[in-house]
Parts: sequence; C-alpha cells; structure tokens
Amino acid sequence: MPQIKVKIYRFDPSKDTEGTLREYTVDVADGARVLHVLHAVHEQDPDLAYRYCCGTGQCGSCALQVNGVPVLACFHEATDGMVLRPLNLPVQKDLVVDMGPALASIASLVPGPGRDLPRKREIDAIKPLRSCIECLACVSICPAMEVAEFTGPTAMRQEMRLALDPRDTRDRIPQAIQEGLFTCTTCQYCWKVCPKDIQIPGKAIEKLRAIANRQGLTLPRHQEIAQIIRETGRSVPRTQPTFLEQVGGTIEPYGEVKATVGFFVGCMYNLRLPRTALDALEVLRRNGVRLIIPPEQICCGSPLIRTGQVAAIPEIQEKNIRAFVSRGVDTVLTMCAGCGSTLKNDYRTPFRVVDINELLCSIGIEMPDILPVRAAYHDPCHLLRGQGIRDQPRQILGTVVNEVVELPVKCCGAGGGTRSGMPQVSHALAGKKAEEISKTGVDVVVTSCPFCEFHIREHSDRPVQNITSILLEGYRAKDARCSKEN
Amino acid sequence: MQFIYVRIEPTLYKMRGDEGLKSHVLIVGSGGAGVRAALEAAKYGDVIITSKSIPGKGGCTPMAEGGYNAVLRSQDSCVLHSEDTFRGGAYLNDPALVEVLVRESPDRLNDLVRWGAVFDFTEEDTVAQRSFGGQRFPRTCYAGDRTGHEVMMTLLEQLRTSDVQVLSEVTVISLLAEENRVTGAYALTRDGNPVTIRADSTVLATGGGSQIYDISTNSATGTGDGYALGYRAGAELIDMEMVQFHPTGAVYPYDARGRLITEAVRGEGGILTNARGERFMERYDPERMELSTRDVVARAIATEVLEGRGTARGGVYLDVTHLPARQIEEKLPVMLEQFLRFGVDIRSEPMEVAPTAHHFMGGLRITPDCTTTVPGLFACGEAAGGLHGANRLGGNALAETQVFGKRAGESAGKSRKRTDSLPRKAIAVQEERLSAYRSGIENPVKIRRDLRLAMWEGAGIFRTAPELETTLEKVDALAARPLKAYAVSTLAECCTVENMCLVASLVVRSALLRTESRGAHVRTDIKQPWDAATSPFGHTYMSVKRAGIERSGCADAAD
Ligand SMILES: Cc1cc2nc3c(=O)[nH]c(=O)nc-3n(C[C@H](O)[C@H](O)[C@H](O)COP(=O)(O)OP(=O)(O)OC[C@H]3O[C@@H](n4cnc5c(N)ncnc54)[C@H](O)[C@@H]3O)c2cc1C
Ligand code: SF4
Ligand code: SF4
Repeated sequence: MPQIKVKIYRFDPSKDTEGTLREYTVDVADGARVLHVLHAVHEQDPDLAYRYCCGTGQCGSCALQVNGVPVLACFHEATDGMVLRPLNLPVQKDLVVDMGPALASIASLVPGPGRDLPRKREIDAIKPLRSCIECLACVSICPAMEVAEFTGPTAMRQEMRLALDPRDTRDRIPQAIQEGLFTCTTCQYCWKVCPKDIQIPGKAIEKLRAIANRQGLTLPRHQEIAQIIRETGRSVPRTQPTFLEQVGGTIEPYGEVKATVGFFVGCMYNLRLPRTALDALEVLRRNGVRLIIPPEQICCGSPLIRTGQVAAIPEIQEKNIRAFVSRGVDTVLTMCAGCGSTLKNDYRTPFRVVDINELLCSIGIEMPDILPVRAAYHDPCHLLRGQGIRDQPRQILGTVVNEVVELPVKCCGAGGGTRSGMPQVSHALAGKKAEEISKTGVDVVVTSCPFCEFHIREHSDRPVQNITSILLEGYRAKDARCSKEN
Repeated sequence: MQFIYVRIEPTLYKMRGDEGLKSHVLIVGSGGAGVRAALEAAKYGDVIITSKSIPGKGGCTPMAEGGYNAVLRSQDSCVLHSEDTFRGGAYLNDPALVEVLVRESPDRLNDLVRWGAVFDFTEEDTVAQRSFGGQRFPRTCYAGDRTGHEVMMTLLEQLRTSDVQVLSEVTVISLLAEENRVTGAYALTRDGNPVTIRADSTVLATGGGSQIYDISTNSATGTGDGYALGYRAGAELIDMEMVQFHPTGAVYPYDARGRLITEAVRGEGGILTNARGERFMERYDPERMELSTRDVVARAIATEVLEGRGTARGGVYLDVTHLPARQIEEKLPVMLEQFLRFGVDIRSEPMEVAPTAHHFMGGLRITPDCTTTVPGLFACGEAAGGLHGANRLGGNALAETQVFGKRAGESAGKSRKRTDSLPRKAIAVQEERLSAYRSGIENPVKIRRDLRLAMWEGAGIFRTAPELETTLEKVDALAARPLKAYAVSTLAECCTVENMCLVASLVVRSALLRTESRGAHVRTDIKQPWDAATSPFGHTYMSVKRAGIERSGCADAAD
C-alpha cells in the first residue's frame, strides 16, 4: 500500500478570507487516482469539500488542478507530494467551484417542425465535438476569458456542434460572434487540458470563423490580411530587404554536414525580423546543417486558417509543398512556431517537418560560452501545445545563460488573429504577461516565435530575444574569448 | 426562455422564510428519467427538479455506455422485443409495464433524435443498431459507447431552455407526507441548509442502489435513496432481491474496481477466456456464448474464479485484440481511453474482468402511469420496479428512463392542484433526526464501508439462507449505530448511509423471502423442480405494513 503525502487547498468562505494549503498523509492502493486520495483524506477530515459522481470520467464533476494543471481527479494517477487546488473558477468551498454560470452559457439545440434528420456525414462531423462532459477544465484556463467578454471554449464547441446540425433552427454565427468568437487566441490550451481530447480551436473556433467568413462576417482587419496574402503571397508588407532576397539556394554549413533540410522561413522572419532569421542561419551553419531554401515559398496560410478564411488554403499548401518536393527535400525546418504548427497540423506533407529547437537538440549543438544573464523562457503556444516542444528550448537556453527562469505558462495574446482583430484583448494579455516578466526581475526574455517576440517586446520593460539569437551571442562570446586566448 | 439555475444559498432560503418552495410537480433526481419527467410535467404547470448532484452529472444515466433498445426495423417487432424481455427477465416482469416499454420506446427515441441526440447512423442515414445480450434482433441504438451521456446531454439542453426550476446539489432526505399522501420533500443543500419543497405531486427518479455493494458500477449517487424515501413514506417496493451483477467489471486499479466494461465489448465480438486460455462460455451457454444474458455470464465468470481458473487478481480475460484497431477506436472509444489511462491498450492486450453489482430490477411498485401505492407519489426509471423482472436486458434501462420518465411527468402534471399547508410535524421530525447526528459517534464512511463488504460477502451472486440471515444481522447492527455528522455539510452523507442500510436490509429480507433461484437471484441452498417459466412465485413485496411473496397469477396475495 503506497503512502501518499498531499497538499490540499482549503477555503471556507464562511470563516476564511483566503485559502491555505493543508498537508495530509494517507494510505491508498496501487494505481490509486487522485479521487481515491481525496476519499482517504475525507475519511480523516470529513469537512473537506470535493465533487465527484461517476468515478469513470463520464460526468465531469471532479475536475481540479493537480500541480497547477487541470485534470479529472478520477482519471489522474495520484503521486506523492502532489498539490491539489480547485479549478481557476469562483471557489465555493475547498475544491468545489461554482460551475453554474459556465454551464448555463452552453447553448441548446432549438428544434423546429419539418427539420431534416442529419445525414451520417453530418453525424460523423458532429461526433468529435459531442463527447464534452462539461467538466470546465477548458473554461478554467482560457486566457481570453480572463480579459474579454468571451463565453469560452466549450460554449464555442457547442455553437459549432449546433451549426453542423440540420435539426437546429438558429443561425449560430451571430450568436458566436457576440459571445466572443474572435477573442480566442487559438492558444490550444483548452484542447490540451480536455480530458476528452476535443480539439476546440481547430474543430470549433476556426470552423465557426470559416462559416462567419462565408457569411461575410470576417473582421475587416482580417480581411486586409487576406488581401495582402492574395496580392503578395505574404501576410506582412515589405518594408526592408527580405531574408529570401538576401539568401537563397543551398547554404552549406561550416564543417561536416550533419543534416540536410529544406528551410521554411515564414512571413514574420522573412519580412519583419530578417535579422533574427540570419542569426538562426548562422547558428545552423555552425552546427552542421545544410539548408535548401526555395525562393518561391510563400505564407504558410496560418493567418487565414486561424481566422477562418480558408478558400485559398489548398492552393497555398500545394505551392509550398511543391517548392520543397521539387528539390527532393525529405525534412523541412521551421523556426516560426506558428508556421511549424501549421505545417505539422494543417498540412499533409510528404516530408517531415521539424522545429529548429527539435533539430538542434537532436543533432547536438556546439557549446557556447555562458552569458552572465538571467533569462525567462516564454513558451510560444504554437510550439508548446501546437508541437509539443517543451524541453528542447530550455535545454538550449541552459547552455548559454546563467539561469533559466520559468514563467507561468500563459498565452501572450499575439495569436489567432487577435493582435490585428481584437487589439484590446491582445494588449490586455500581453500586459499580464509583461507583469509576470517584471516580477521575475530577469535580464532578458527568450522565446522561439516571431509573433511572441514582437508582441512581448512591445509590452515588456525587458528586452526580448529569439533563442537562436542568444545562442549566437554565446558563440560570439566564445569566439571573442578564443581569439583573445590565441 | 432562460435556464434557471438556482443554487440555494442560506440567505435565499431565509428570504423565502419558513414557507420553503412550492411547485405543482417536484421531481427528485436529474438522471434520464427525472429530466424526461420534468420536461413533460412542465407542460402542465410549474416544476422543480432537485438533484443531489449538478443536474445531469449524478446518477447512472451519463455513465450508460452500450445503448437504448427500440424496435425500429420492419424485420423486428414489438412482440419479439417483449418476448426477449420476458425471457431475459425470467418471466417475473410485469406484463403491463413491458407492453408499454416496447410500444413506446421507439417514440421516445424519436423525441431524443428530434431534440438533437447524436446517435450513430448507418450508411443509409438511419439510426444504427447493434446486438446486445439476450436479444434475437440487433435493436440496441447507440452513440459509440457513450450512449447514456448522449441521452443526458440531449435532455439537459432541453432542460436548460425550459421553465423548469433546477435545484442543484440539493439532496432530498425525506418525503413530506400528510394523511398518507405525499406532499413534497425535505432536502439539504450542499452546505447542509434545509429546504422544504411542497408539491401537488412528487416524482421519485433517484435511480438505483448498487452502491450498497463493495464492488459496483454505479455512480456515487446510486445509494438507493428513492427506495428508502418511498419505503418510509409508506410505498410498497417489489423484487428488491433482484440485483443484477454485470459480468464484466474492472478489477484494476483496486480503488476503481467494479468500473463497468460495457456489454458492447462483447457485442462487438469480445471473447471471454479463463487463466488457462479456455473459452469457458462453451460450458455455460454454448449457443449464445459471450452474448448470453448477464446473469448467466456473471455466474459463469464467478464460477471460473471460485473454482480456481481465474487470474491472480480474481478475474477472467475479455479480449478484443482479434478485432481491427479501427473498429475498437470507433465503436469503443470510452473503453479504449479508460484502459489506456490505466496502462492497458485493449487493441493489443486483453482486459481483466469480474462481476460487479450493476442494476436494481426491483423498486417502487408502479402502474403503467407511474403511480405508486401512495397518493401523490410517482416513480420512474431505476427507482421503480417490475419492468425487468428478475434480470434486465442491456439497453432496456435507458429506454425505461424515457418511456416511464415521460409517463411519470405526464401523470404528475395532470394531477389535481392542491392547497396543502406546510406539514410542520413532518418537518419537526426531520429537524430532530438531523440534530441527533450531532451527538452520534460513528463515522458514516466506516459504516458505509462495512455495509458494502457485508453485502458483497453475504448477499452477492450466490446466496444461501444462513448467509443471508447473518448478513441481515450485520446490516441491522450497522443500521443501529448512531451516525456522527462532523460538519453541517456531512448531514446529507449521514442520511445517505442510513438509506443504504435500509435498502440493504430490504434486499436481504426480500432475498430470504424468495425461496427459489430466478434470474439474477440465485439460492444455492434450494433445489427447485421448476424453471422460471413454471415458477409458482411472483413478485416479492415489502412495505412498512406488509412483506411477502406473491404466488404466480395472484398478484394481490396477502402476507
Ligand atoms: C456504468 C453503467 C452503464 C450502463 N449502461 C447501460 C446501457 O448501456 N443501457 C441501458 O439501458 N442501461 C444502462 N445502465 C443502466 C441505466 O444507466 C440506469 O438504469 C438508468 O440510467 C437509470 O436512470 P434514472 O434516471 O432512473 O437514474 P439515474 O440516472 O441514476 O439518476 C438518479 C438521479 O437521482 C439523483 N438523486 C439520487 N438520490 C437523490 C436524493 N436523495 N435527492 C436528490 N436527488 C437524488 C441523482 O443525483 C441523479 O441525478 C447502465 C448503468 C451503469 C451504472
Ligand atoms: S484556444 Fe486558448 S484562447 Fe482559444 S478558447 Fe482555447 S484556451 Fe481559450
Ligand atoms: S471541452 Fe473538454 S475540457 Fe472543456 S468542458 Fe468539455 S470535456 Fe471539459
């Protein structure tokens, strides 16, 4: 029988002004879940309030935070030393939160006479959105809900489910827009915490935005972006010599070739941050990567997909895929988190797609000199959740700075078209991010996404650097030291 | 219209003063039966639905996996469905209830479909059906293996747009009765504050009580409250000994033992083998094999384990690894996901299973209009008895919630409006009961654990009179222990444990009364010359006033 120590958040609104963590030690059986630990604690301390019903992940009563991450207590395996807190929703007592308002905001099908039954095709489309158990894990972490009038992920899931159903008599789009459809930053956090693995941003929010687009309800700022992509193949205007104008064809590494990859540069690095891309190029060359850079590559289409303007997507995808396939490339490298996530998740590519952090870690990097700085690492949503890349950038950063400081994992607000379409939402989120950064007192914020880099720089009082730029700085410091030593 | 979502705060309750809440119809329980009843009753007047849990989250309806039985195809017929139901139920079923079920189940399914239920469809764009144990036609409609969840979500959507007033996390601890007529209920909020609700008619839709067993598939709310509430209010219960043990419950992890492995696993082609690798159903029902009725399969597995052919953890194997991975992913997604969480990939490894307490076939005696033997009180869903006889067919319970939920709502809605005053005496009795818990001594958690173990050991799949007698003594002794409420918020828990003790004693006493083996009830100490079809016995019945067993064909036999 394993013994488990657990800290549990206790708060009784009739007595306490704020919650405290209380520690318990209990005996449970092998393979026990968090819920079974709670049962054991309850036996010691009958006043502990927690919710549960079915015990099998089907009723959505028992969601709570284990070590800061929302999970179902009945499913999540208990671990020694875990800390249990309620979901980030108004607390009624201890681990029990007020689920009422969020549940009440989930829309209902409005049946009408003479409506057709759905076809199997439609049923199959609805099904992936239907397994929601209304646990509110997603609602508890949605960054957009914190700063905007937004009914939240599962309400959007339901609006899409209804929009797909011929039995429903309502036009769901105006409603969804009113409920905050365009405030979502597509940070994917809701999907990653969903115990039912419901891909709300991709399968509901972007799809609702696509229907809105067909109804002519796309935000004007988003339409402008679509227009510039149509006209130039790029999502940002040219204001300086682009990366692709400066380099092209095949770039050989300095030493032995460890990998050969196609390089997908992306609009932000090509047009707005070409310097950063050149830094990355330098880092890659030092680490034995041969780059094949097709000049005809265009925008990956992410700004269009995220905002529901998908008509031109097949053509864009075809063009990009052809650019690399025609050069016999079997691996394509991205350094923009958004492009990487799009190529991996929204494309069906005949080649492998790797992120720059992934690639560098897999081939092993030349060690830089350690810079005398404390750096906070900001996880780009489209890298962490879009591509599941968490450890690699931390490893790389660890080789080049004195100390890596963790930040609360939270969207900076740049994504999903909110920066252009809903600037006040995007601004508010970045403000929160900037506050978190200031609190840490770090010298520099490091990230690996041009959108995050640009957006945080605008809001934070600390300098923001791309991970490859800081690595290059480490290399330069090393070069300087070596040349001095020689 | 708007979803009225009421949490009763102490202040709100005080604001309403001593008079409490009042409505035409009060529904107790927000599972499939309760919500269906509320939607129907709302056509006739104001309705309050109260639930121990957040609406739709408690109860077994959202957990139901396999499906919903309805005759939809021309090759199938109501006669066939009813024959299957009788045969499965060992001919103990109440014919009038069976008749209503098979006739109305398709219409109620259509209600759900109209309201947006997303059942699986065939290539021809019609509701798909699959095979379930003990049925000669594949008549079980399904939504993957989350059928009950689908039903519940569909009903909740309609509830949210109805005028029904929803009391969330408000536990009924007693019915209020005056002159043998139920006039409402006395309840506690999550924080332990009392609420009285008066109603012209009250519907019990509190679900089953399999939580009185150590190993159970049921939701935490499956504590049999409705049986206890009804019994104390004078209603008659029937066939309380008829507890269905589902053949396939999980055995690991220990703390989640009993978790249901849906019958759909066998419906899709799953195979049962013992630790020696033998497909043992050949010995118990060579014709129907794994798709035999639940009582037969449960006994087969229990026998294999008892006779030493089980796994180290006391189960047998249920194997789908011969099925295409796609089929498993599409048809059994919940199973796949649950087992993956516990470290087993059912696409490549067998599951380990053993029987688990699952369903109460018995319950309040009702007419097809869902009236009970007490005026003003109605019952539907698993709280009611008689429909399933001695053994329920998979897929008939979800259908029951809809068919009889609607009927209960309609009957209750149509009942006469009354102007009863607050039954102060009954309320005072409850206040006294609650204050007694302050001076109790026993932790309800401990009594509950002992009770569940006693029931599993002495009133489980195989029963004998001496074991049942011993169990009854244990249960009575536990019931006599004064429970302690350590905090106001645990008052309801004390009431629940008290209910569980009462329900357990009803089960054991009924099991002693039925001196035969029939369906789910197996008395190994009795040899009988008859089979189910020729049994001389009818329902067992039990009320505050009388208890006994009917002789076949004379339903109203006195004690
Ligand atoms: C795991 C599992 C799988 C199943 N699969 C199937 C299947 O595939 N097909 C099938 O036909 N049947 C199946 N069944 C059986 C079926 O689900 C149930 O019989 C049926 O759902 C019962 O519905 P109900 O509305 O009567 O009660 P429930 O759904 O159990 O609801 C009871 C409600 O009463 C409330 N309640 C209880 N006590 C109180 C109180 N004191 N005060 C206030 N409220 C109270 C609860 O909170 C809950 O809301 C399954 C059962 C289980 C456990
Ligand atoms: S993707 Fe992020 S912002 Fe959008 S709904 Fe999900 S959690 Fe909220
Ligand atoms: S979408 Fe997922 S996380 Fe959100 S409420 Fe539904 S089940 Fe929970």
